[in-house]
Amino acid sequence: MLLEIGVALILAKIIGYAFEKIKQPAVLGEIIAGIVLGPFIAGRIFGIKYISAETEGIAQLGIIILLFMSGLEIGVEEIKAVGKNGLITSLFDVSIAFLFGYIAGNTLGYDMRTSIAIGNIMVATSVGITVKTLMEMKALHTKVGELILTVAVLDDVLGIVILSITLGKGQPLMILLKVFIFFFSFVLILLLMGKIKNIKFHIPRLMLTLSLAFALIFSAFAKRLGLAAVTGSFFAGLLFSVFPQRRRIIEFTRGIGEIFFIPLFFVWVGASFDFYALKDMGMLVLLFVPMALIGKVIGCSLGAKISKFKTRDALAVGIGMMPRMEVALVVVTTEISMGIFSDALAHQILAATILLVIISSILTPILLKIVKEKASTSQEG
Amino acid sequence: MEVYPIVNLKELHEKKIKDILDKKQVWNLPLVEKDANIQEVLSILTTRDHVWVVEEKGKRKICGVITESDILRLIAPHRLPKYVFGKRYSVSLHHGTARKACDVMHKQIITCSPEDKVGEALLRMVNAGLRRLPVVENDEIVGEITTHYIIQILLGKR
Repeated sequence: MLLEIGVALILAKIIGYAFEKIKQPAVLGEIIAGIVLGPFIAGRIFGIKYISAETEGIAQLGIIILLFMSGLEIGVEEIKAVGKNGLITSLFDVSIAFLFGYIAGNTLGYDMRTSIAIGNIMVATSVGITVKTLMEMKALHTKVGELILTVAVLDDVLGIVILSITLGKGQPLMILLKVFIFFFSFVLILLLMGKIKNIKFHIPRLMLTLSLAFALIFSAFAKRLGLAAVTGSFFAGLLFSVFPQRRRIIEFTRGIGEIFFIPLFFVWVGASFDFYALKDMGMLVLLFVPMALIGKVIGCSLGAKISKFKTRDALAVGIGMMPRMEVALVVVTTEISMGIFSDALAHQILAATILLVIISSILTPILLKIVKEKASTSQEG
Repeated sequence: MEVYPIVNLKELHEKKIKDILDKKQVWNLPLVEKDANIQEVLSILTTRDHVWVVEEKGKRKICGVITESDILRLIAPHRLPKYVFGKRYSVSLHHGTARKACDVMHKQIITCSPEDKVGEALLRMVNAGLRRLPVVENDEIVGEITTHYIIQILLGKR
């Protein structure tokens, strides 16, 4: 196992860097590293068995750290600062993206729980690639750029909330009660943290240890309530975002996360990619990917249009919100580990999500440039 | 060669911040309001290595800090991290998203009070990797403890 992990880290770094060089997300490179190490390439040639209980455990920790980091960086203050336009667009974005996923699942004949799970995958956007494109186009400071960044803040939060509500275990009323208990605890701890955040302790690195420990404990608490563990780690991140030591906690979490746990999560995702799933997923992929892309475009554009954006700018916001990456992969692996999909379907859904990640990463910059260039031309005309 | 008197460190650690704070310092603090233009911030940073951000002009309610390393990040070629969340990484001078002091500042600040011991404040600086702490009383900045200032005290220059 030690050899596999060592090789995985080096491969993920090299292929991730190569992807960055060709202006593609490093995450894609890390997933490719996983595919290389998986049963179909390295497994077949060298007999390497990358997928094991140990590597899965590390990947699960990677998920917890990734979502904790996401909560920390998004932050409670930033959520409070989201304006009316951001809120309206986010609500349209999240609900329509979810609905499109649900419709895709329903059309394919899956049961309600599976269709809901597909809807969940389509909610969270990854704006890294959009930010890069907007920077290249010198459009980050524009109204479109600002709205995309604002919507992206709420998008992850709402995505995790929907995940908690829809995937809880048990009777609907019990699920609602558990969700209420979870969020009531969150608010209570948030208020408490507001009171204690300025207490001074003199134990070296206490806050760093506490934050990580709390992320794990809060994840376990969420899991015990029948919610996803990632819900706990994300909200733990939000809780620790109120502390004066926030920047230091982020640096510490990014350090251990980026170097070790998170790349190994994406490698594990890649290694779980089943090439055989590709041949049976015709209709799924034909519906899954387009519905995921169109749902975002319609949802966000509609929200932006209602927020009085020009049609072409509203469309640019919708396109800018198309990419799916880290959180979508976290959601799909969480749903798989919760046993929502049957074994064969799990492989197909994971493969479809990886395809969505790749296609949305390639398509977004191209479409965004076309829409923005046409907008500039029509303004000049 | 001139030999500076070295202050007894143990005694220094036991002193209260208010005992070592220069009363005149309060009038010379690098302050800027949160809505101040980024040019104003940069202008202060030509002579100082940090600037405290306050809620309103003329008031001292502290809400953030901008250091020279924050500015260095803004000046250097922009590089996004591997995993991007929130709005933090989109703040850029080149791309026009760093317009005001509040766009750039650290919102959560570690502080000390005039009643704290110097040793505690120094430990806080070491643990958090900081080179300066604002001295805060009732949410208002009344002074600052910087590494330079402590070294001056250590050498008996203050």
